[in-house]
Amino acid sequence: MSNLGFALEGAWKVLLAGLILGAGLPALFAVGIRSMAFGAGGDAEVDHAPPHPIGRLVAYVLFTVVVFVALLGITFIVASGFGKTISFDHIYPTIVDK
Amino acid sequence: MILALVVVTALGFDFTNGFHDTANAMATSIATRALRPKTAVALSGILNLIGAFLSVEVALTVSNAVVRIQNADGTPKESLTSDGGTALLLIVLAGLIGGIVWNLFTWLLGLPSSSSHALFGGLVGATIAGLGWAGVNWNGNGTKLDGVVGKVILPALISPVIAGVVAAVGTWIIYKITVGVAARFTENGFRWGQIGSASLVSLAHGTNDAQKTMGVITLALIAAGDWTDTENIPFWVKAACAVAIALGTYLGGWRIIRTLGKGLVEIAPPQGMAAESSSAAVILASSHLGFALSTTHVATGSILGSGVGKPGAQVRWRVAGRMVATWLITLPAAAVVGALMWYLGNFVGGVAGAIVIFTVLIAAAVGMWLRSRLAPVDHNNVNDEWEPVTAPTPAEKVTL
Repeated sequence: MSNLGFALEGAWKVLLAGLILGAGLPALFAVGIRSMAFGAGGDAEVDHAPPHPIGRLVAYVLFTVVVFVALLGITFIVASGFGKTISFDHIYPTIVDK
Repeated sequence: MILALVVVTALGFDFTNGFHDTANAMATSIATRALRPKTAVALSGILNLIGAFLSVEVALTVSNAVVRIQNADGTPKESLTSDGGTALLLIVLAGLIGGIVWNLFTWLLGLPSSSSHALFGGLVGATIAGLGWAGVNWNGNGTKLDGVVGKVILPALISPVIAGVVAAVGTWIIYKITVGVAARFTENGFRWGQIGSASLVSLAHGTNDAQKTMGVITLALIAAGDWTDTENIPFWVKAACAVAIALGTYLGGWRIIRTLGKGLVEIAPPQGMAAESSSAAVILASSHLGFALSTTHVATGSILGSGVGKPGAQVRWRVAGRMVATWLITLPAAAVVGALMWYLGNFVGGVAGAIVIFTVLIAAAVGMWLRSRLAPVDHNNVNDEWEPVTAPTPAEKVTL
């Protein structure tokens, strides 16, 4: 296979991972913000609706998910520095040798 | 003596690498005032320092991707070390000088160009001059992504597009989702997301870029006979490289930060977060898949994408065009400088030759620094409006 073939093979994987993590996470974060505003009500929203406490709860759950995935990213950087990588073979992430 | 010059020059390159790339992570946070300029560069510097120490992976074979001056296990080619390593050291020194000169020149123009391309370009040029065209690994051997084409040119063409698409999609979705939320509420929330994602980019940058210099210095040490272990690098090399890249980052390439943060797109916090998340995800995914790329190309692609994705945002395509033009000529331009330095060094010969080209480097660096003082850009004016605005009236001046 030529260099171009290898490059395109890698490219679509990077694009896929990028879309899921690089666009998906900010989208999740945005839903969190939306939900937070829904929870706060009043001046936080354009229509000045009354506050909905559930919105705040949902927001915190979403922010936790985003932070968790970001921490996973940091773990990945650190782990690869020590010749390890993160495996999702058991669904939950585990650190394994490369 | 030549070895000492190579080490100093390599650390100098690492330093320029740092300040050239501060913008990649922090330009957006500075532009949206999520962080004060000084805080942003300090944070990025610290994270680069940590990142550089975390990169224990041996990057000794970094030059193998583009030039044939090392064996597969990382030891230098015997034919280049027969004279005490001078032949190899001269190539490396000339290559590094090519990289630094190009980095400084693009910084002077405020253009973000890839430091890895500058380094590879310098090495390619010096190798062509020293060993001929066959000394360059143009296309690899067809078994994996390799060579100048596979490791440098193709990723440079592909990665900004990927990052741009991801950031555009991210920005578009964010704006769709947050319709109806008060602007001030979203801005504050996204500032936090932006700081987090920008920090991730800084950390990844430290692990990626500092190890290139570590590999080059260790190669020089082996060539000179001062180090033999190809599995590890000396601790002082790692520490020195980490400190050099962190200091460079802290100094901040304000000219480049300004171009990326204000020149391309007027960035709002949601776009900033989308751009930095896209950069972080693309950089991490690529390094996981062994797909070499330049943080600069990714960051620029992401910021452009965040402009494309926001309805009604203005993208200054002329600025983008200048950047792309710079990317295209980075490799050949650094190669020309590297080659010229090798010819000059070789013409004078030996230690004297190395000293002469080192002096040329110092002269060029001082010259460009002096030139930059004529129109300084620093943390005070980094966020000024990009387009010249009409002079404020005296009344406005007072309120400013």
